[in-house]
Amino acid sequence: MKRTNLSAIGISKTFSRTGSNDSLPVLDMIDFAIQEGEFVSILGPSGCGKSTLLNILAGFEPADIGHATCCDDPIQAPSPERAVVFQSPLLFPWLHVQDNVMYGLKQKGISKADSEELALKYIKDVGLEGFEGYYPSQLSGGMQHRVSLARSLVLNPKVLLMDEPFSSLDAQTRYSMQQLLLRLWEDNRKTIVFITHDVEEALLISDRVCIMSQRPGKIVEEIKVTFDRPRDISLTSSQDFSRLKAHILTRLLS
Amino acid sequence: MMLNDRENDVNMKLAGFFLPVVLFTLWYIFTLDGGVPAYLLPSPGDLASTGIDFAIGENPPYGGTLFVHTMASVQRVITGFGLAVALGLPLGFLTGRIGLARASLDPTVHLIRIVPGISWLPIAMVWFGVGETTTLFLISLAAFFPVYVNAAQGASTVSPMLIRAGRMLGANDLRIFTTVIIPASMPATLAGLRLGLGLSWAYLVLGELTGVTYGLGAVMMDARMLGNVDMVLVSMIFIGFFGRISDIALVKSFRKFGLLKNGDRI
Repeated sequence: MKRTNLSAIGISKTFSRTGSNDSLPVLDMIDFAIQEGEFVSILGPSGCGKSTLLNILAGFEPADIGHATCCDDPIQAPSPERAVVFQSPLLFPWLHVQDNVMYGLKQKGISKADSEELALKYIKDVGLEGFEGYYPSQLSGGMQHRVSLARSLVLNPKVLLMDEPFSSLDAQTRYSMQQLLLRLWEDNRKTIVFITHDVEEALLISDRVCIMSQRPGKIVEEIKVTFDRPRDISLTSSQDFSRLKAHILTRLLS
Repeated sequence: MMLNDRENDVNMKLAGFFLPVVLFTLWYIFTLDGGVPAYLLPSPGDLASTGIDFAIGENPPYGGTLFVHTMASVQRVITGFGLAVALGLPLGFLTGRIGLARASLDPTVHLIRIVPGISWLPIAMVWFGVGETTTLFLISLAAFFPVYVNAAQGASTVSPMLIRAGRMLGANDLRIFTTVIIPASMPATLAGLRLGLGLSWAYLVLGELTGVTYGLGAVMMDARMLGNVDMVLVSMIFIGFFGRISDIALVKSFRKFGLLKNGDRI
């Protein structure tokens, strides 16, 4: 039995507008448990609170009710143990690729030689060998996302939290990023929580899909995705895939 | 990959020469014999020979004295501007990020800022006498505000998401300040430094006009009293020249120390 790596226990969250009594319930009693090495997608319509949930898991925001834990410790603040890959790459524009990837290692106090070696390895893993000295503004969107992935993975986090990381990319680039993520994941089997609104993406990459309702978001169904890995794009035209996709879409629209 | 539009750079550089050439030609034509008299506007040729004499000549009273006057002025700019930066940058960064610092400092600073710098001259002369200290006071005072305001502006508008990224990567408060907030504020901060340095030269002249022995502003005032219009204009040209050099040096040093990345167009 694998250890539970990340869990949400009765998380609710309400946003209140400053200066008025209006309040907006965003999350409603979210419960889940994610095992070590599991790849879980949280799928929901936009505005359902899924990014808020990720922010709580990352430690950027507290929950109003309930709490989240990572390896049985309550989550209170951001930590490199729960590395985040954001919706936009959010690289430091004044650092070149290698220094961006080394940033987290520097905060950990890892020696320069060791962090250089690690950074170069991960830059190579994400397919950016030769671009170490480029600044983010000199890279395409897809390449910036690769750097963002590398700077999180290089920290060897217990959990990788991904907030619609590929939603701004064109279809081909998104597919190649998904394949890259899967290839890296097969190597190291990190626990991944992947937020998305794209049903195909969720089915193509994850072991389990948690479907969230409209705001206030709650998890209305969890679906195990059992397609053999490695999965490629041809899977999307199979009958099982289409049936599952239709089922999920119905759930999302209801 | 994004490419800079390099192919146009040559044309862009040529475009920059057009206006100076036109102005220079007009100046030349207007100061030909029978045009504008020399006691109002000397011809380019006269001005050039006065300038050369100022730099390396021997004709009294100004021949060959460019170096000592420039050194005196540059020293004042460096001291006065340095003082403004030493106060303005840290206070600006703090007010940009820390609510308490902003609440306790910002209203007073902006109140003082509204008083025009020139109007400090009389009181500065009462406090510090005519000359050196007054000049330094005026430079520091004038340069402080743009440095402070822009550093604060830069620090307060750093993307909260970028700060989140830093926290997630394990940076503590101090490291967030030094490795995210300060570098992210650099474009605005540099704008403030450049404005401040420009004002330093302006207030240098104001201070030097009131009576110092050495300095380009002193030469200017002295030459005016002697009715030497050539020398007044030559001093103006050298002040402009050194001011621009100092501006370029400031921007270059930012690039050299990696505070601006190569792609930034400033």
